[in-house]
Amino acid sequence: MVASPVKDRPTPTEYGRKRWMQVVLLVNFVFLYFPIVALIAFSFNDSKRNIVWKGFTLKYYEKAFNNVSLHESFINSMIVASISTVMSTILGSMIGLALYRYRFPAKPAFEGWSSLPIVIPEICMGVAMLAFFYTVEIPLGLFTITVSHIAFTIPFVAVVIRARMAGFDKSLEEASRDLGAGQWQTFWNITFPYMVPGIVAGALLAFTLSLDDFVITFFTSGPGSTTFPIKIYSMVRFSVTPEVNAASTVLIVVTLALTATALAIQSRASKG
Amino acid sequence: MDSWKDNKLAFGVLLGPPTFWLVVFFTLPLAIVWVYSFGERGPQGQTILALSLANYERAVEWIHLGIIWKSVWIAAVTTALCVIMGFPLAMGIAFAPRRWRNPLLLIVILPFWTNLLIRTYAWIAVLRTRGYINFTLEWFHDKLDRLFTLVGLPEIMGTFSPLELLYNQTAVIIGLVYIHLPFMMLPIYASMEKLDRSYLEASLDLGAGQWRTLFSVTVPLVMPGIASGLLMTYILSLGTFLTPNLLGGTDSMMIGNLIAQEFGPSRDWAFGSALSFLLLYATFIILWARATFARRGAASELGI
Amino acid sequence: MNMFKGAGSSRRNFLAGTGAAAVALGFGGRSASASGELNVYNWDTYIGETTLATFTEATGVKVQYDLFANNEELFAKLKAGNPGYDIIFPSDYMVETMIAIDMLVAIDHSKIPNMKHIDPDPNFSDPSFNPGLKFGVPFMWGTQGVGYRISKVDGVPDSWGDILASDKYAGRIALLEDVRAMIGFSLKYLGFPMNSVDPDEIAQARDLLIKNKKNFKTFAPDSGQDLLLSGEVDLAVEWNGDIVQVMEEDDDLAYVVPKEGGMVWMDNMCIPKGAPNPGNAHAFLDHVLDPVVNAEIANTIHYPTANLSARKLVLPEDLANPAIYPPPETLARCEQIVDVGDAARLYDEAWTAIKAA
Repeated sequence: MVASPVKDRPTPTEYGRKRWMQVVLLVNFVFLYFPIVALIAFSFNDSKRNIVWKGFTLKYYEKAFNNVSLHESFINSMIVASISTVMSTILGSMIGLALYRYRFPAKPAFEGWSSLPIVIPEICMGVAMLAFFYTVEIPLGLFTITVSHIAFTIPFVAVVIRARMAGFDKSLEEASRDLGAGQWQTFWNITFPYMVPGIVAGALLAFTLSLDDFVITFFTSGPGSTTFPIKIYSMVRFSVTPEVNAASTVLIVVTLALTATALAIQSRASKG
Repeated sequence: MDSWKDNKLAFGVLLGPPTFWLVVFFTLPLAIVWVYSFGERGPQGQTILALSLANYERAVEWIHLGIIWKSVWIAAVTTALCVIMGFPLAMGIAFAPRRWRNPLLLIVILPFWTNLLIRTYAWIAVLRTRGYINFTLEWFHDKLDRLFTLVGLPEIMGTFSPLELLYNQTAVIIGLVYIHLPFMMLPIYASMEKLDRSYLEASLDLGAGQWRTLFSVTVPLVMPGIASGLLMTYILSLGTFLTPNLLGGTDSMMIGNLIAQEFGPSRDWAFGSALSFLLLYATFIILWARATFARRGAASELGI
Repeated sequence: MNMFKGAGSSRRNFLAGTGAAAVALGFGGRSASASGELNVYNWDTYIGETTLATFTEATGVKVQYDLFANNEELFAKLKAGNPGYDIIFPSDYMVETMIAIDMLVAIDHSKIPNMKHIDPDPNFSDPSFNPGLKFGVPFMWGTQGVGYRISKVDGVPDSWGDILASDKYAGRIALLEDVRAMIGFSLKYLGFPMNSVDPDEIAQARDLLIKNKKNFKTFAPDSGQDLLLSGEVDLAVEWNGDIVQVMEEDDDLAYVVPKEGGMVWMDNMCIPKGAPNPGNAHAFLDHVLDPVVNAEIANTIHYPTANLSARKLVLPEDLANPAIYPPPETLARCEQIVDVGDAARLYDEAWTAIKAA
């Protein structure tokens, strides 16, 4: 009855080692990587229209690096992402901690409501922010973008914090209190240090979300407050040259660097 | 867990500011859109506050129902394709030798970390008339043509006509599957990773074939993960805006694009608000349905 | 645990420091937009290669340059309150609309000595949509018609019927993302005036486009010429200069104004109300009206210019090119789009219906 295992043939449940599964994995990886690899490869193409390969050049990277409005949009993205990450990490950690620690009336409803920004379609939130700023007559710019980014990233940070706190050993807090430490002391010395990897993970998540955001930013930006993705969209919409590919590659590299940092910190934290 | 009454000050301090932010900069904007949805459009596109259901009536006019149906359909096809591709992918990684799992996972997630706009744009070069897919097909066509000519059948291949893969629903679906595959794969993987292999082995030992085991044992056990994946993929695809905007053609307008059009060049914010809220209600209904099934599912799960 | 404590507090300090710095950088800079800056909102491929650079050199003013795809997009962006633009480039009818609802600033002619170079022909110096050039100055003008790939079409596609009402080139056509233009051409093909305010006529034009929508590959937002060049489509409804720009790169492309009639238009440079830098805006208008600067723009973008003195410096082959400077018989069958007041709503709704169908 049992499939007799030959020595180096995979066991029935070791799907990962079966030929067909490896083909499936390969096909998926090609599917996932081909467009991006092609995009990066063609950023070096010496052809303005960028349809056929005409030769290797770095001149579109030069153009991208010398493109003043591209610079500015990158700086804008950094400013917005930095401020919104700080605020959203603080606010998100607060709400995450409160949800972890306290029981209160209508808690499930509150949890549902505070996670809404995660599930609602971005376009709904984008137009809502536009309508809001128009109604209260706040001109669109970096301020409105940042405020919107904070609003939509808070729940993500909260989720990360809650997940982190789920593994917290409350007895440590109780021991600390038993030994006479006050509430704030206990918090800063026991609870908070445990939270830190969660806070860092949440901060990096918020930063990436803000940096990459397109739809919500699209509706809340004004002149002079173009962010990097919005600028790339404008370049994609009008006159596509390898410069777009070059700018995109730069964004990919930046995002990957951040991700790598996040992973490194997380793995260090889990070992510590 | 403490009761909030145990420490009202700490509770208030922790919950107050974030709640304030979310109320003012999230709920209030949505409320404004909700109010607008009952308003009217003035002659130059201003929104006049009113109490009219005209926008909602207009939203379910035949022509707009077409867009709604299109969005529902495209999202459904996307979700189906994602689960067909994502399930084996999740299995492959979950059942891979332990030390391969994290690297494999990383490789799958990495493209996900790149910007949505860039990932969608990358497909334009692949799908267009003079794009990589058509170039490859043309190359094959050329080679076959030469082969047949050598054999003495010069006309058999005919001229090459490139596939129309861009600026239509096909392109939008390909783009959406590409973007949402990780959303489908990850929850399924998370469920599968925690799966107790002994169930599978027991099933195989008892004589069930691989397929039978798959459908009778594996799938029911990872159903929460599958459900999560289906849900997220569907909701995200339904409300998508950028992908049909960049990859779609005249036949691929989805709800997100219509909303953007009404808040943009068409300057009918009232109508756009109504559409926006219809999309929201649809999202809520799907989530509520999921929560209901989850509660029932959880009960039966506890029995295992 | 101790390791985390130390790391935690230094991280906190770092975050706090970054936050403070970011706030200072981000919000401090926003209000100081007074002198030294100019925000321009323009069509794509519609400026010279050195225009902005020479302006900055001459005046020290930094230029922020954003793009829009059509007049409705421009209008929508500004209607909700000027987000900070100093110079905009509306077309003729849009100038009329904006004047009617008081969205433009009357320009100070005394600050623009180069106005003397504008073509004295009343079409340019005293147009009906902007009498006396009170609210803006003319920039470029031109026609709208069809760009096509010679080797892929049958003869010359000189009728809107081939494009809007026939399966002949199904799937190989790109229309323009421009409500007044597309519905206007449909109206003209059906024999109605391009600026009809008759709901029935507009409905017929709309239905014609809906019926043949399956033949159109896409509604290109000012990028039809790129699709034509890349071979994605073989026919594209576009502005004449855009097509000439790609004709430079590919001999297999040509431009025609269909026999039922095309569109003639004039773009203008205006200062919207609420512009933060009106002084710099006037300086920019003067700069662009300078014959040398203007000719450089015209020679780059290949549109006919409204600037008489600049025309003397335009490339002779451009002046002789009928696609750029159309002969009288072509102009005779072109109509200009005008503001239709409240009836604009009919066009907006028809367009939404076409896009949604």
